[in-house]
Amino acid sequence: MQIAKRRKASLTICSTAFETLGRTQAKALGHPELPLAIIAHPFGIRTRNEVRAMAERCVEDIVRLATKKT
Amino acid sequence: MSTRLSPNHARLVEAPADLDEFHRYVAERKWGDGLPVIPPTQDRVERMLRHTTREPDDLVAVIAPGFGAATPRRIAINAVMAGCAPELMPVLIAAVEAVAAPEFNLQGIQATTNPVATWIIVNGPIVERLGLNAAFNCLGQGNSGNASLGRALRLVLQNVGSARPGEMDRATQGQPGKYTFCCAENENESPWDPLHVERGIARERGAITVVGAAGTLNMNTHAKDSDDLLRVIADTLEHPTSNDYWIGGEPWIVLSPEHAHILARDGLSKSEVKKRLWERSKMRAGRMAAKDLARTQTGRTAELGPIDENTLLPVSPTPDLIGLVIAGAPGTHSVYVPSFGDTRSVTREVA
Repeated sequence: MQIAKRRKASLTICSTAFETLGRTQAKALGHPELPLAIIAHPFGIRTRNEVRAMAERCVEDIVRLATKKT
Repeated sequence: MSTRLSPNHARLVEAPADLDEFHRYVAERKWGDGLPVIPPTQDRVERMLRHTTREPDDLVAVIAPGFGAATPRRIAINAVMAGCAPELMPVLIAAVEAVAAPEFNLQGIQATTNPVATWIIVNGPIVERLGLNAAFNCLGQGNSGNASLGRALRLVLQNVGSARPGEMDRATQGQPGKYTFCCAENENESPWDPLHVERGIARERGAITVVGAAGTLNMNTHAKDSDDLLRVIADTLEHPTSNDYWIGGEPWIVLSPEHAHILARDGLSKSEVKKRLWERSKMRAGRMAAKDLARTQTGRTAELGPIDENTLLPVSPTPDLIGLVIAGAPGTHSVYVPSFGDTRSVTREVA
């Protein structure tokens, strides 16, 4: 959030369970447009390989969000 | 220097006069905790505000995770709703200030999946003056001051800090202490200096301490000597799913007066009790789940050096971080209060 306030490219990665928290907090801190990358919850029960596969599926979307012109 | 906010930070609204309808009105807006609340009329809020010297719209604290401004007026509104007597207002203001201290980590406490309640411990002559309970059932029901203070702080955290269940409050189950969690220290029955004196506040002053508490566990033991008593308490602290062990936390023990007197009779000071508990409660890291051990290795290697299955993990980074408070009435029961882990208790004088 502090980085976003300095007008630098930034995004927050969170799981579906924390999407509401992320959006509400971004709004409360005066930055409602902060990009959020939402990953399926939960991680705790997944194997390391499954988490890696999820990361590979998400990485392009995350790069796109982080480099998006606002 | 204080920051003053516009009075419209608290809004006057027309609400139903009928109590049943008022209860529904509050529930629909998620302003309550599920139980009926007292309507915060202008008169009642004004009566509450007469018990503080602060201006109604001065900033007392910013409350995470919504970063709402807690002003005396907003605190008073929530205090009325919780059923606080106006005389409790300075105690509640001190508690609101305390939870906003950075080391308390209110952001983490409010938004975590862990079941964390904010426990208020009250010390000093204000305990007797305000009729707070430090003895029989002091962590249970029955005393209006204890019940309403803890409840009022919860309503401030929820309404000013926007930590509503399922929204910003992400607690998986929560715990009953999130309705209210407040007691006084039983200083008259303690063989040692009370908590606020231990923390540098004069004995004759009033003070509160807030703790990020993850529950309560009864420790019923008829142990008659200090060594036996400390052994079983230390054994109780050790559990492999504890946040205190994987983070290095600040666990608390509510000692019953009887247990405290056994320890003091055997010549132990408070700091010696903490030191012995800390040594005896070290837990073999291999008791943790493999994933939790890996998290501990990430979290505590800087503090402890390389950690493997045979490392003995202390419950807190240093012995003095074990909190000790004397409360309760006759009986062989002390209480273990595990902490959220990533939090430190905060003590503030009551103005």
